[in-house]
Amino acid sequence: MKILVPLKRVSDPDNANKIKVGAGKVETTGLEWKPNPFDEYAVETALRLTENGTNAKARLGEVTVVTFGPKETETTLRAALATGADKAIRVDTTDDAIDGDLLARALKALVEREKPDLVLLGKQQVDGDANQVAQLLAEYLGWPQATFAGQITSEADKALLVSREVDGGSIKLRVTLPAVVSVDLRIVNAVGVTSMHTPPTHKYSDGVRFAALMAIMAAKKKSLTEVKLTDLSPDTALKIKYTGFDLPPARKAGVKIKTVAELVQKLKTEAKVL
Amino acid sequence: MLDFTEEQKLAQSTIRAWCAQHLEPHVLKLESGEMSVYPVMRELAGTFGIPDMARAAFAKMRERREAAKEERPGTGFKGLGDASLMAILTMELTRCCPGFALAFGATLGLFGGAVMARGTPEQKEKWALPVFTLEKIGAWALTEPGAGSDAFGSMKTVARKDGDGYRISGAKTFITNAPFADCFVVYAKMAGAEASDVRAFIVERTAKGVATSAPFKKMGMHASPTGEVFLDDVRVPADQLLGGEGAKNARDAAKSSLNQERFGMTPMCVGIVDRCLVEAVKYAKTREQWGRPIASFQLVQEKIARIYTARSIMYTLLFRQLEADKTGTPLTAAEASASKLYCARTATECAMEAVQLMGGAGYMTGSVVEMLARDAKLFQIGGGTDEIQILRIAREVLESP
Repeated sequence: MKILVPLKRVSDPDNANKIKVGAGKVETTGLEWKPNPFDEYAVETALRLTENGTNAKARLGEVTVVTFGPKETETTLRAALATGADKAIRVDTTDDAIDGDLLARALKALVEREKPDLVLLGKQQVDGDANQVAQLLAEYLGWPQATFAGQITSEADKALLVSREVDGGSIKLRVTLPAVVSVDLRIVNAVGVTSMHTPPTHKYSDGVRFAALMAIMAAKKKSLTEVKLTDLSPDTALKIKYTGFDLPPARKAGVKIKTVAELVQKLKTEAKVL
Repeated sequence: MLDFTEEQKLAQSTIRAWCAQHLEPHVLKLESGEMSVYPVMRELAGTFGIPDMARAAFAKMRERREAAKEERPGTGFKGLGDASLMAILTMELTRCCPGFALAFGATLGLFGGAVMARGTPEQKEKWALPVFTLEKIGAWALTEPGAGSDAFGSMKTVARKDGDGYRISGAKTFITNAPFADCFVVYAKMAGAEASDVRAFIVERTAKGVATSAPFKKMGMHASPTGEVFLDDVRVPADQLLGGEGAKNARDAAKSSLNQERFGMTPMCVGIVDRCLVEAVKYAKTREQWGRPIASFQLVQEKIARIYTARSIMYTLLFRQLEADKTGTPLTAAEASASKLYCARTATECAMEAVQLMGGAGYMTGSVVEMLARDAKLFQIGGGTDEIQILRIAREVLESP
């Protein structure tokens, strides 16, 4: 199976307090970057679908990772190559010059070029939290889509049985490949992904894998190509305009409440939730 | 080389992430002895493919051996096969738990390194490889109850020829990993030879007459088990004389192992100082007194600036050392000693400054800087005391024409 995984670096969510807003923009200087966690889950899912878990070194498919960003975002791609992805593409642009719709249109062109059987994405980026690209891309490609996957069973690499958590249970969708699937956190648990390549008795360790040191050193030998955004989408007009950014208001000091009666009173009069 | 490469930085961030998830949560239990360091070491090695790296390097060594029919001592797999990568791993482990890093360094760097540097091809295969794959744990035993800084002159452990092998008697102390190691490199004087004739032997725990103490309680490095090795007329086959029958006096070998240990201490000291800086800055920015963060007070800023300066200098020393290793032009004894002396003293000072900056919160057991301050002191003692480093520096400087 050939899988395309778009991934993006985001400012380290654990250091969100370092984010500053200036001149109607989020200032990016001094921020620490990390791969978007949901994208890392998508890479892990793609690797699990294209290997025998008991012998992960032998690749049984091809995983291509793609990111949209300036030269320094290649670090994010190298990290994915080190964990096992087979090749990488960087579409040269900057965050300001793209939005979810342009990304989906550019990815459509890339899909037509790379011809994957599956596009796997994180359900959303933890910076913009837009949750648009997977759905738009499926629409533009005219492919079936399943979103927020918590479990994927590959049926002979012809179709995927995708489970998504909903209130009170889960729903299961069967999508015929080629398809677009976005993943949620639960996908990287020990039995989140099953396929014919890995024996059903095999249990992965929870979470995403760490790259072996040798693989990290060898990652620079893997193919990383650069593509111009205009080669994928001549029309680079944006449909979303950011009109301003505000930091969340600083939290006000709380008050200590002595009795339950007082609490109920405050919930009624101040919080107005009762 | 003025910085780590992109790949090395990626390795660093990957190891740091592993430490945060798989080492940090266990530090208190590793320090109290409730949990053993060795299963965690094996998990670390497995995750990062260290056994695979060692096996691959040994396979290459075998190929070369068959082609060339001879093998220079000191060739083959050293550490992770890449000094920078080993330094990064050591630094990252130390940032999290210096005792863990010390025990790891003693088995791979000291035992594994000694066998790789002086061992015959058969000894490398039989003794070093299982230690690099973490199947076995090694220890390196030089110090004795009566022989510390005067390690060779006061050495009492004796080896005498016994048929085609040797019999060793004596005691070694303050040995990292001794309570649990499977194999030891033991230094002994040859009976009946010149007093200066010291040899190194590989001794197995299972040999008759080998006993070890329980782990000692000590000031710091609690996660690293330290103990005594007792050798009561232990019979050692000839093939366990390190370097084989033709081996030269092992004093130079021991000294080169000590140099390796000193080199290994630089990244450990960087790790300690780097973590102290992170902890001190975090605390200074969040702790408020007189209605503002203590970071706004100049006496606090002075401490942070000092720790930062120390870290910058240590990085320079580390890169100098890595460069020397890469180009194959070793540092002189004085330069290596100066580096070790500076790093050890400064790491101890910086860690104490971090404790001071954090006040009561830094002094409490369970605070990272409290552990680091106790652990850092070891570097002024192990691998040659500060005083011995000073003597080595003075000797070289004064004797040079």
